[in-house]
Amino acid sequence: MVTDIRTRLLGRDVSFPVEESRLAYWLVVMRLIVGWWFLHAGLDKFLAWPFDASWFVGGAAAQTTLGPILVLFSDGILLSFTNVMVPLGQTLIGLGLIVGALTRLAAFFGAFLMTFFYFVNGETGGWSHGVVTGDLLGLLIFAMIATLGAGRVLGVDAYLARTEFVRDHPRLRYFIG
Amino acid sequence: MTQLTTAERIALYGGGGLLLIGTLGIGLLEIVAGAPHPVSGEGQIVHETLVPLSVRSSIMLLGLLLWGVYAASSVAREPPADTSI
Repeated sequence: MVTDIRTRLLGRDVSFPVEESRLAYWLVVMRLIVGWWFLHAGLDKFLAWPFDASWFVGGAAAQTTLGPILVLFSDGILLSFTNVMVPLGQTLIGLGLIVGALTRLAAFFGAFLMTFFYFVNGETGGWSHGVVTGDLLGLLIFAMIATLGAGRVLGVDAYLARTEFVRDHPRLRYFIG
Repeated sequence: MTQLTTAERIALYGGGGLLLIGTLGIGLLEIVAGAPHPVSGEGQIVHETLVPLSVRSSIMLLGLLLWGVYAASSVAREPPADTSI
């Protein structure tokens, strides 16, 4: 089946048809692969515990655009917080995307983390292969997953959307897929 | 038919525009008017840029920030209708 997306952009009618089954297929494929990317990154850090992020939030990262924020997390309790939250965040984001639970929230925080990875990895490497890197593309895929609400397709969010709690609190639709 | 509100236009066109300037716009400028990028002995491309990399990064960061603020502020707006339930 084909559905019509009817909308305007930059003052022009940009309506276009979308093949529904292919869109649903791609949403699930993207969600699973990006989800595994983050779940693996998180679990990997837990399996090799302790994780030390001081190289990322201090050192060379201090000279980057995000350096003034990152150095605040380079020692003491904020470094301990970062050491736990990076692997925990990656694991939860990955799990959320794979099972399609709180998909938009997971994708938002995925894009949030990728912003730091993108600028620190890019700037410390001198953008040696250009500014469009895998990190930026990962960030854009997270933004796309959040925009399209991919959690409804073979995901827990399809169930969550029907619960009385979400019906009574419709603002929660911004967090689920 | 749906269309963007004024606030959405500022956030989405502004954020996307800044990102496009940072990637495509400055990228094209560097190709047309910038220095060629010689490759070092280690295979690393040595950058001598027309637009300082920190300026380029800041433009892109501002674009991402606009997107982020738009996404975070969505929660305060009227929740979307759900046709699936």
